[in-house]
Amino acid sequence: MTRIGRVLAYVTLLAASAVTVLPLLYMVSLSLQTEAESLAGEPVLVPETPMWGNFVELFERAPFANFIVNSLVVTCGITLSHLLFDPLVGYVFAKFRFPFRDTLFVAVIATMAIPFFVKMIPLYVMMSNLGWLDTYQGLITPFLMDAFGIFLMRQFIQPIPDELIDAARVDGCSELGIYWRVVLPQVKPALAVLGVFTFVFQWNEFLWPLVATSTEGMRTIPVGLTLFSQEYFTIWNLTAAGAVLLFLPTALIFLASQRFFVRGITLTGMK
Amino acid sequence: MGRTRRRSRRRTLDARRARTAYLMLLPAIAFFVLFTYLPIGNLLTTSAHSGPRADEFTGLGNYTRAFTDPAVRHAFGITVLFAVATTVGALVLGLALALLLNRPLRGRVVFRALLLVPYLTSVAIVGLLWRNILDPELGVLNRLLAALDLPTQQWLITHPLATIIGVMLWQHTGYAMVLFLAGLQGIPEVYHEAATVDGAGPARRFRHVTLPLLAPTTLFVSIISVITGLQAFGQAYIITDGGPAAATDLYVFHVFNVAFEARDFGYSSALSFLLVVVILAFTVVQLRYGRRGEVRY
Repeated sequence: MTRIGRVLAYVTLLAASAVTVLPLLYMVSLSLQTEAESLAGEPVLVPETPMWGNFVELFERAPFANFIVNSLVVTCGITLSHLLFDPLVGYVFAKFRFPFRDTLFVAVIATMAIPFFVKMIPLYVMMSNLGWLDTYQGLITPFLMDAFGIFLMRQFIQPIPDELIDAARVDGCSELGIYWRVVLPQVKPALAVLGVFTFVFQWNEFLWPLVATSTEGMRTIPVGLTLFSQEYFTIWNLTAAGAVLLFLPTALIFLASQRFFVRGITLTGMK
Repeated sequence: MGRTRRRSRRRTLDARRARTAYLMLLPAIAFFVLFTYLPIGNLLTTSAHSGPRADEFTGLGNYTRAFTDPAVRHAFGITVLFAVATTVGALVLGLALALLLNRPLRGRVVFRALLLVPYLTSVAIVGLLWRNILDPELGVLNRLLAALDLPTQQWLITHPLATIIGVMLWQHTGYAMVLFLAGLQGIPEVYHEAATVDGAGPARRFRHVTLPLLAPTTLFVSIISVITGLQAFGQAYIITDGGPAAATDLYVFHVFNVAFEARDFGYSSALSFLLVVVILAFTVVQLRYGRRGEVRY
């Protein structure tokens, strides 16, 4: 590569990174500004005295502690369920022979073509009939499993040699024991990808928690924060503080496991 | 004699294993029936009814109403525009960034991470952040422009649709970039070397080697991007509230309001179903035309 080409490449990448990162840095700055700084005058990137109290005030103005607990319960519940069921179902489709297997597999995979919002209205009616609106089970159950996760795990489990599974069976291992002690340990990296990906997407989920909750105490952070900002339209430093709290877990996960996350994205390209 | 016994033993073994398989599948079968197939059946039933309780049968009434409803046609038109523009933008920008990152540069992993960060954020963050940045009076962009003595903007009022297209690209380009990067890394170096030996310059190598070999990635990115764009909701809900004057009344946002503001579940169910049909149609067309561009060397 020529010298000029290299310089141009760096300049372009730096400019593009500035576009993606500066708004988020400004959000962090905003979360530490005084109300006056956040509203008028020349914009500040580094507030004179960081207002850590914004984070305290946020919890006083809105039930933010509830939002956080709700988000954690719902997201962790869904992620655990995916980690439990997606590989189990993938294992059955990969390693068992039984009548109607291919029909059932197609019926599962076909659900990938159905976007979530199509189910939004009927699920709302169903949850309302069950009395599950505004409950954790109402927020969690529509996402207990995922066809793509099942497909992915099946792809990873298929190459495990049948001899390994049969040997465990001959040794008297129970079927669930085989799944737990023989199959799962072989696909740990794939599980990590599935876990990271599911957590980040469910943590950010917006439409269903908006539809399925009506009381303030049951909202997740994305929904609670959005409705908070509609109520206190110009209290931007506090809104930004809430956005920082919402972003923190995904940012930490990304820092710790960028590799898994990127791998997850390229795996979606396998479809 | 011995053989039949062995065969029947084998049969009972197979039957037992099949039973185990069904037992382990039971939760999944229950889940997909209850939370996907049943809701879709209910959606179709509801879409044939009208009234506040969706209990008056109208047959295809909601569907014929949809085709002549100017608000629906408007929402559909701008949503297709939104989806196509965000897809073309993500393809061009994503590929350009991936080509840069595919070179032997120091700090590639860091750049890749920085460019991907917006994709990790919730639409709630994206929406609130850009609403703040772009606000004509209090927004940081205009305060910055004013401090630099530059003319200020009112994009959310003057170009609302283009603005939320830009915001969508800000969030989603990194995803396209990562997929293109993986696609580029999957192209064996020998093809480029062979083309170079044959006297092809960088532009011709890109046109005749890179692009054709990337066709599967391009196809996949465009399908996902169109599907995502057609379903966009948060951008309209959080940033523009569909306005000004319905300029950003994206289809799913419109359906959401028909369902939960107007409380017309029958009509909104029909509108939901129509979008699925459109999404499937887009996907089929893209697959048909996209496959044509694929080559194997």
